[in-house]
Amino acid sequence: MTGETSKFDILIVGGGLVGCASAWHLARLGLKVLVAERGHLNSGASGQNAGSLHFQIERRFLEQGEKAAADGARIVTLNRLALEEWRGIEHMLGRPLDVAMHGGLMVAETEAQMALLAFKVARENELGLSTQVLDGAQLRERAPYLSPHLAGAAWLADEGHANPRILVDAFAEGAGEQGARIRTGTALTGLSMARDGTYSAVLSGPDGEMRVNTPRVLLASGHWVPRLAGMLGLNVPLYAAPLMMSVTDRTEPVLPYLIQHVGARLSMKQTEDGNLLIGGGWPSRLARRADGTPDLDRPAAVEMKNLRANLAVAARVMPGLAQRSLLRTWTGTTCISADQLPIVGEIPAAPGLFVAAGGSLFTLGPVLARLLARTIAEGSAPEELSMFLPRRFAHLDAFAVLP
Amino acid sequence: MRRIEQGVTRPEPIAVEIDGASVMAHPGETVAVAVLASASRRFRDDRSGAPRGMFCNMGTCSECTVWAALGTSPWRRVRGCLVLAEPTLRISTRDPESRP
Repeated sequence: MTGETSKFDILIVGGGLVGCASAWHLARLGLKVLVAERGHLNSGASGQNAGSLHFQIERRFLEQGEKAAADGARIVTLNRLALEEWRGIEHMLGRPLDVAMHGGLMVAETEAQMALLAFKVARENELGLSTQVLDGAQLRERAPYLSPHLAGAAWLADEGHANPRILVDAFAEGAGEQGARIRTGTALTGLSMARDGTYSAVLSGPDGEMRVNTPRVLLASGHWVPRLAGMLGLNVPLYAAPLMMSVTDRTEPVLPYLIQHVGARLSMKQTEDGNLLIGGGWPSRLARRADGTPDLDRPAAVEMKNLRANLAVAARVMPGLAQRSLLRTWTGTTCISADQLPIVGEIPAAPGLFVAAGGSLFTLGPVLARLLARTIAEGSAPEELSMFLPRRFAHLDAFAVLP
Repeated sequence: MRRIEQGVTRPEPIAVEIDGASVMAHPGETVAVAVLASASRRFRDDRSGAPRGMFCNMGTCSECTVWAALGTSPWRRVRGCLVLAEPTLRISTRDPESRP
């Protein structure tokens, strides 16, 4: 990295979806961008998730009671923007990204679950999302391969899936064409704030250490954000969520929709190649250090009990799945915030320091990166970002000591 | 591919079925061994229909994927190197459901 003396307007830490998409937008807005990725691009949650494009209120918001569901419903306004973003993303990046938006069904098995769906759909409709409730007969007409025992579903015509293995590459390549510098194998090993409010970062890469002085830093490193913010004594309430995804062998096209479940953890869809992808938020097991604390630097392990439960739900919803063979199950670690909403924007205690992380960031990542880039370039956050700003957790930094 | 015969003792052979033909295998051998010993080294076909052979013999490459069924139980896709040959085992290197 010797010879890289040019000044950067921003250092982005993390070469995943949010980091690379932010780099692309910021470079297009004329900023000089440096991206530092510790491993290789897309090696974290951005490439490990199963690529669902879900815009209905997620089950994780519904399983903590009506108050949490009402709070969670606020994310629908962002989901609507994300939906528009995905509609245009292949055109925007000028390449196919396996984006399929043929619709999504959140199924219910019981009358109690149908009531929860009705509550959810009413809230979504109020917020401008055109979900609709299908009864059992309507569901069977639309998706005859699903179990006849299902009581119904919530239908949203725009849901679907995309390929998480090629999206980040598209953003990174575009960012590079716009002048962004991207350094892989390069870890942030030191971060401090100078008296003038700028940041001094130490990057350790293949060619040794490099010190970068920059007015702005964006931490876009998923569940590692709290550790990196901790270098400045700051607290970002994000917690690791280790998950599992599975893929079956290829079969003829049978499932054009994204399938979710209102009463059980499930996501299921079919790839362009014909494989069925199964997930839905079932935990894997975090690696542990010798002292018993979680080791976020090693991959989580498949939890067989949860894998069996995940596949059982999937086969209950789509009986034909029982004839398929499981090719592979893998783990990936995302994170959730203290209130389940993503944390995106400037840290009040540290002007110039931005973070962007949280759950559902495959679906929401592209639009959040766009909004964040506007925030950074214009110096103030657009209204759409207001409920996701780190300022709602400002009390956690009340005792931080910065220059 | 042939079994080593000299200086090796094996359990009495059993019959398994590979693509409709009866093939002898010894208990403790894998399905992959039975296919290799059947004079055909052909396992799965790739998307263009070209034949593929076993590569890693340790459950990683999936090149030895075949269909297997015990007796009249349903066909399952398995990696031949991870499944032991058993009496009444049927093996198919083509999808048995779509066979003409």
